[in-house]
Amino acid sequence: MTEPTVQDDPPTATPGRALLRTRVEAAASTYHELPGWEEVAAHAAALADRIALAPSLHAAQPDLATSLEALGCTVVVPGTEDPGADVADVPVAIVGGVLAVAETGSVLVTEHELRDRVVTMLCKRLLQVVAATDVVGRLEDAAEWLAPRGGQAGFASLMTGPSRTADIERSLTIGVQGPDEVDVLVLVGTDAATEEPTT
Amino acid sequence: MSELRPFGERYATALADPDVRGGLTAFQRGWRVSRDAAIADLEAQEGRSFDELRAELAAIKDGVLANWEHHIDTFTANATAAGAEVVRVATPGEANALVTERMQAAGADLIVKGKSMVSEEIGLNSHLEAAGIIPVETDLGEWILQLAEETPSHLVMPAIHKRKEVIAELFERVLERPFPADDIDRMVKAARTELRERFLASSVGLSGANALISEGGSILLVCNEGNNRMSVALPKLHVVTAGIEKLLPTYADAMKQVRLLGRSATGQPITVYTNFLTGPRPGQEQLIILLDNGRTAMAEDPDVAAALRCIRCGACADVCPPYGVVGGHAFGHVYTGAIGLVNTSFHHGIEAAAGPQSLCVSCGACATVCPVDIPLPVQILEVRATVARAGAAGSAGTVTRAALSAFQHPALVGLGLRAVGLLSTPLRRDGVTALPAVLTTRGPLATRIGWRSPPAVPLRPARDTLRPGRLEEPPRLADQPLAGRKVQLFLQCLSDRIAPDIPIAAARLLRAAGAQVTVPREQHCCGLPAYDSGEQDTARDMVRQTMAALADGADVVTPASSCLAMLGHDAPHLLRGDLGEVERAQELAGRTYDLISYLATGPGRLPAGSLDDGDRTPVTVHRFCQASNTLGRTDAIEAFLRDVAGVPVVPLPEAGECCGFGGSTSVRNPELSAGILDRKLGCLDRTEASVLITDNPGCILHLRGGVHASGREVEVLHLAEYLVRRLPGATSMSQED
Ligand code: SF4
Repeated sequence: MTEPTVQDDPPTATPGRALLRTRVEAAASTYHELPGWEEVAAHAAALADRIALAPSLHAAQPDLATSLEALGCTVVVPGTEDPGADVADVPVAIVGGVLAVAETGSVLVTEHELRDRVVTMLCKRLLQVVAATDVVGRLEDAAEWLAPRGGQAGFASLMTGPSRTADIERSLTIGVQGPDEVDVLVLVGTDAATEEPTT
Repeated sequence: MSELRPFGERYATALADPDVRGGLTAFQRGWRVSRDAAIADLEAQEGRSFDELRAELAAIKDGVLANWEHHIDTFTANATAAGAEVVRVATPGEANALVTERMQAAGADLIVKGKSMVSEEIGLNSHLEAAGIIPVETDLGEWILQLAEETPSHLVMPAIHKRKEVIAELFERVLERPFPADDIDRMVKAARTELRERFLASSVGLSGANALISEGGSILLVCNEGNNRMSVALPKLHVVTAGIEKLLPTYADAMKQVRLLGRSATGQPITVYTNFLTGPRPGQEQLIILLDNGRTAMAEDPDVAAALRCIRCGACADVCPPYGVVGGHAFGHVYTGAIGLVNTSFHHGIEAAAGPQSLCVSCGACATVCPVDIPLPVQILEVRATVARAGAAGSAGTVTRAALSAFQHPALVGLGLRAVGLLSTPLRRDGVTALPAVLTTRGPLATRIGWRSPPAVPLRPARDTLRPGRLEEPPRLADQPLAGRKVQLFLQCLSDRIAPDIPIAAARLLRAAGAQVTVPREQHCCGLPAYDSGEQDTARDMVRQTMAALADGADVVTPASSCLAMLGHDAPHLLRGDLGEVERAQELAGRTYDLISYLATGPGRLPAGSLDDGDRTPVTVHRFCQASNTLGRTDAIEAFLRDVAGVPVVPLPEAGECCGFGGSTSVRNPELSAGILDRKLGCLDRTEASVLITDNPGCILHLRGGVHASGREVEVLHLAEYLVRRLPGATSMSQED
């Protein structure tokens, strides 16, 4: 379990999170502040009993699968053979974000490998987890993260809300070639959550 | 996908389809609300104006072009380091051949495509189909069009010309199960199911690129549906088709584009997926095709180079009045909207560019929303001039050219119009010519003329009535801001001959404020009609003639804001080949005013209440489009009417949108002009006002004709005509009985 370190300057972190919440909700996602990974597992288990984990997240947080299984869930981590088939239409999936941008309510997710990408593409509901210390203010902060990684193969995606279209008569329809629902989960550790954890 | 049909056919089809206009008007209105709110939010967030933000992005894009090869090389080196293969091609043929060759080498016969305008530009689908390869569009709008065998009609919303009923029918036919028209969700979910199989089956995927980031060799690829992510992730070969103008130096620059792109395209602060792809994923190949196809030629032409800044947001179509009537299949070629009128001639040739040119009303709306500040209206006129010079089909043609050339000679114009005036005298009613019903309701001319009663042609031009001593002295205002000041009245050719009441009223008002009004005899036409028609040599001659006529250094006031747009804005550009002429044009521009600015803020500034005669009948105001869009005027007339004339003003919805008179459209494409007028009159009905005031004579004649022909009971007046009635002791000002 990773405890996010408390920021040197919490007063600036909180307005950032307040804006993040507004923008996440404006993008039709839900926003939650949770103490840690145990609560992420509980949040997911309350939604479905079959949960996919992005392989990169599973590698970084091996305890998460254990927690989910303890809560009675079947955990799916797609393999390399036919990752799409492994997660096709899984109800809920969890992915870790490298940062969240308050300005737009986006979570930056890196998913170079196909088996990571299929998780965020094919699930019905996606939980994006990011540490409170990784909440940044502006898109330029995301650019700063990307710049030193230029020239190396990679795939990073600023994700903002569930997939949608307005191609028919400009009428907004949620859920096209991507999740219908997105939950942004911010790990606040011992930092005071601005919301009771969902159980 | 079907090949584009000839322009005339596309235009006729669009006009004949009632869904096109109905759907697009609603779309444009909805877009406007979302976009304006999103831009206002951005301005508040950044503490900077839209103009500052777009100037910044424009400068970034211009900087790339100034150092183009360097950025292409840097991008290529970085993308190659990340494992991509980057190939530059000059022509669509080379691009198509390359994709086909790679697919055949891989033994692939299916390609899933994310939205890519470049693939439309090069006609990739038909090329692949000819080679036995099946392209599958995966963007919902593009997929609908592929099923319907049509091409996109909008850069961002490709199927926006189709109503949901039509799409439901299409789905029923193709998928062989019922689709209720109101259940858009069911249609979207059906597309998801159908397409998912193709994604999983395809070994080649194609995408465009919203930007190529040279510092990292990354591709910026945005989408809302998520289809683009699938078409680049799942297949073993990912092909990127991109124009070589798509480069941006850094990721931070890309973020500036992201901020403006989503807001301008759909009113979103950011698209759902803003992806940065660097090289292929493990187990995949990536082929990036950088296409020139006329882009280098654009960059070398200073008149259009700025069009390479385009980020394909579609905003220039979303505010375009003719686009709202006929849609992108007629208004544009592969690229639709205002940008299509500029870049088509470079990507698809002069002939392809010619037809849609005649649909532009030159209202200038596109330039006000373009997030990279492309001077679209000026560029469109430059391309139009090229089209006219090339004598391409659909250009102004010899008849127009002969007419414009005859129009250079005031004496000829006077003689001709006097003849029309005499002949039409028996039909003259309330300032219009009431055409016999047999002409307007039946027969081949009905759709071309029935919607607008032509103006009554008077027997005496304004210039004769305004000869010294002929016009009775008007009553004097208590305040005389212009006491002793000399004012040269520029009549405007159209008003002089066809609506003389307008300049006469303007002269009376100026005199009432104390001015000594002179009407220089040598004046004729500022050159705007010729400029609008692409006849720049004729236009230049007319500007020169006007400059000579007004050489006396006194203030020039015109009741026609269109002439101010020409003399104040376009003339220096048109004369740019000769610095001395530019200086003289600028000197003239500096002392030329339209009536409203002269009386509201200029030397003739009238105090509050000075034209208040106690009449409180509400009026509404149409804002001449070029005054709003090009001269930056906002509510000057409304404020003046309220403050100086004391009259309540009911706001006109879409007040600054073109009425349909613009350019030569109302003559060359009357059906289109009628469609734009109809929207304007619909807005007028919502005000319930009985008086409509505006200040451009062309708009007045057009609106009067439309009001009369539709049987509406609204008086359409020039600001001057309205105000002279409020002079102390005013009587009817009509010069003729
Ligand atoms: S020209 Fe400007 S407004 Fe039109 S699509 Fe391009 S960027 Fe958008």
